[in-house]
Amino acid sequence: MLVADRLFGEPQPNSTRPSADLEKLGAVAIAEAKKQGATYADLRIGRYRNQFSGYRLSPQRGSSVTDEVPFVTDQNSFGFGVRVIAKGQWGFAASPLVTAEEIARITREAVTVAKANAVAQSTPVQLAPVKAYHDRWTSKFDKDPFAISMDEKLELVHSATLSIKKDPKVFSAFGALGFQSEDKYFASSEGSSIQQYVVRVYPILNAVAVDFKNGVSRTRNYTVEPQTAGWEAIAKANLGENAPRIRAEVLEHLAAPPVKPGKKDLVLLPSHLWLTIHESIGHSTELDRALGYEANYAGTSFLTTEKMGNFSFGSELINVFGDRTNERGLSTVKYDDDGVLTTKFPIIEKGVFKHYQTIRDQAHLVGEKESRGCCYADSWSSVPFQRMPNVWLAPGVSTVTPEDLIAGVDDGILIEGDGSFSIDQQRYNFQFGGDAFWEIKGGKKRGMVSRVAYQARTPDFWHACDGISGQSYWQQFGAPSDGKGEPGQSNAVSHGCSPSRFRQINVLLTD
Amino acid sequence: MFSQQQVKDIIDRVIGYSKLPGCEVNVQWTEDDFIRFARNGITTSGYRITQQISITSTTADKRSGNSGVSELTPEALKAGVKQAEDLALISHPNPEDMPALPAQTYPKLSNFDPDTAAARGDVLIPQVQAVLEGAIKNKLVTAGFIQRSANAVGVGNKAGLFGYHTYTDSSLTHTMRNQEGTSSGWATQSSVMVKDLNGAEQAAVSIKKCLGGVNPRKLDPGKYTVIMEPAAVADLIGWLGFAFGARDAEQGQSFLSKPSEDPNATATFLGEKMFPEFITLRSDPFHPKLASTPWGPSLLPNEKVSWIENGVVKNLFYDRFWASKAGKKPTPFPANLVLEGQNNTLNDLIASVDRGLIVTRLWYIRVVQPKTWQLTGLTRDGVFLIENGKITAPVSNFRWNQSPAEVLQRTTKLTEPMRVTNDETGSNMAPALITTDFNLTSLSDAV
Repeated sequence: MLVADRLFGEPQPNSTRPSADLEKLGAVAIAEAKKQGATYADLRIGRYRNQFSGYRLSPQRGSSVTDEVPFVTDQNSFGFGVRVIAKGQWGFAASPLVTAEEIARITREAVTVAKANAVAQSTPVQLAPVKAYHDRWTSKFDKDPFAISMDEKLELVHSATLSIKKDPKVFSAFGALGFQSEDKYFASSEGSSIQQYVVRVYPILNAVAVDFKNGVSRTRNYTVEPQTAGWEAIAKANLGENAPRIRAEVLEHLAAPPVKPGKKDLVLLPSHLWLTIHESIGHSTELDRALGYEANYAGTSFLTTEKMGNFSFGSELINVFGDRTNERGLSTVKYDDDGVLTTKFPIIEKGVFKHYQTIRDQAHLVGEKESRGCCYADSWSSVPFQRMPNVWLAPGVSTVTPEDLIAGVDDGILIEGDGSFSIDQQRYNFQFGGDAFWEIKGGKKRGMVSRVAYQARTPDFWHACDGISGQSYWQQFGAPSDGKGEPGQSNAVSHGCSPSRFRQINVLLTD
Repeated sequence: MFSQQQVKDIIDRVIGYSKLPGCEVNVQWTEDDFIRFARNGITTSGYRITQQISITSTTADKRSGNSGVSELTPEALKAGVKQAEDLALISHPNPEDMPALPAQTYPKLSNFDPDTAAARGDVLIPQVQAVLEGAIKNKLVTAGFIQRSANAVGVGNKAGLFGYHTYTDSSLTHTMRNQEGTSSGWATQSSVMVKDLNGAEQAAVSIKKCLGGVNPRKLDPGKYTVIMEPAAVADLIGWLGFAFGARDAEQGQSFLSKPSEDPNATATFLGEKMFPEFITLRSDPFHPKLASTPWGPSLLPNEKVSWIENGVVKNLFYDRFWASKAGKKPTPFPANLVLEGQNNTLNDLIASVDRGLIVTRLWYIRVVQPKTWQLTGLTRDGVFLIENGKITAPVSNFRWNQSPAEVLQRTTKLTEPMRVTNDETGSNMAPALITTDFNLTSLSDAV
């Protein structure tokens, strides 16, 4: 039996205890760290699995005959990382060889790193208090997606892509099913011993149409919510039923007239607005950015610390939460990588910026006594740091429908799905495309338009929000891999919202 | 570090376990040491070893599956082979699968430096301290990252192919901001030899930019003559390289496609002059400053390829499958790019601009339209106005929308290239250049 399989094997029914073998290894790291003079230590043992399979259907060279190209990959990674504080400084070391001897050796390396770096520390690390937890937790799923046969997965995607490609005017079709799992054990010198297992799914369906004569190419995606769930989410996504719609809409997109640029009202659907929330609210409210920890790469934030509690971020309709507890959220876990019990907390209340996303070693820098549970490392070999929780926009009044929002627009655009995205290093100036755009004229949704992007400044944009649909229209989309940090790491994160309206936004005509 | 024999043993063992006709093995081993610093002190740092074995199994009727494992016990490797073979047997035939390559003669590259491979805190920390001292002395605040890595890579397959290579790499990059947060400077160095990193030299550059960037003027958006420093050019040529795929070009989806009434025409601008005569862009895996490998993803030997030569589109990226259909020789992916320069200094470029801007680096570049390869992004960490051949004032940041092909088409002058490593475009050799009519579409308040 593989070491990883033995350590992360099936728990006893209803067990809330981590595996005894993992706990023994945790104790090795903690004891060795103390022996070496560390004042804090934690060990993470992790096994990560990424399975990705699907089909690309595209024409052969110089021909209209279609090649059907399958792909199947299943990657596993297993190892451990030890984090310590010694002489007031963090140290970290990691190895793929999970044995007691190697854990002790790597722990000594981590302490050596910390002690060496102490010569160039500005202030000693200070950790917010945390309780000790002994627990085992698994994310919610009905059907383990890894237990579903690859044959069934390929057949589902093959059939959906064939359906898209049924019209010879469609140039190519692409479909894929992605599944990720994280087995993680965390032990700390403060007494925690936590084992967690998370499963995420992300289906993709895409169509491309090309006008060779005029040199135009357009896409249309079926945007499915990536989520913490099992195979049941794939079944609910109805790939087969949505394929004909994508087929028709990609051709409509190809023939769609260009947008007339200028100031317009926007009605943004959740499959699009999630990304605007992510870039402009999610990243701007990260405390490590505001404090300058990310200044060299991801950037800082326009939300400097004196703005906490008083800055008018948007209109009174804007209520935003950080939440690693919500069902199906991609960053949902019970405990973060600091061993902190995760929570839901307000980020923006009635348009006013209230709280940052925090972790244990930074909470005190804005006068907070506890971490908000936003610590994450994307691998056993990565240093845990502040990563985004699920950041979601609360729905509006329950009686407001998307049709009500559209009815209030004289000249505007309805946008579905995400497209091109770019925002500056302080999260002020952004530009977003989309996947599909419909003109709104005189309160009615009209035909598709093309070549749309919009530019705005974050606070101006959120102040321009004057309508949010009710709870029944709330959906949660997200990103399976959001980049940050040096060395770079990626984080899976969800952003829920209802369709929302924004007044007089600058719409551009792209090439 | 994995020795050649260790890598050979792993590959032989995997191939020995395989039952299907095709088995390809990729081995990656890395040891790295890194330090992050911010708020004028070291924040996090680490030392780690990572390894990954990727196994691709293929049936006689071209069904293939891929697995990856990081455990190296016989049991784990056996399980990895079984997983790849099970996936292959369940999968469907891939009409684009190419036969396994037989033994190849790989070129020898010299990009392993033993001192870099052995470097730990005693080598890295002094460079960080030099940057921190520069910040403190000038009452500025710095954040940055230094790293070095030692890498062993290996490939092998059932048809007798085997390759092994070791290389090192290192980089130091940092941002210098004033305490009020109203100005920012930045500098970068990267090299296969850690001894080339110099914190004091680098800090002098970022400090000058930061101190000179206070009270920026807000200029109107519009089309400007712009000097792009090497870091900005490296990103633009990296993105341009992504658009040199032959398949997209021959199937009407690229700026290199020729419009045609016939959707099966495969007409491209290959062989046509699209750029000024002095523009030559090539891949050069043999460049001693680049941390390249002797083979690319196709496992064919890496080689020098000109993508643009004296302004003419000279080659497109043909993978093995597409090349076989087009009757062409496969080409490596456009990586390890070198944009050839001219015998000018940055000061020569500045002196030749009557009115324009100079840009330190670009940020958050994304494709706006895949067909035209129009990109969007922002300027960052130092934009200055040039008037009558002299830098006269700092300027606020801008968003820009422009194709990198257009940037090269409107280039008028270049310096010699230097190595730059960017996060999304890898390591390239890029000069500074002057381009005209660069489309700055809106102001950014970001500093």
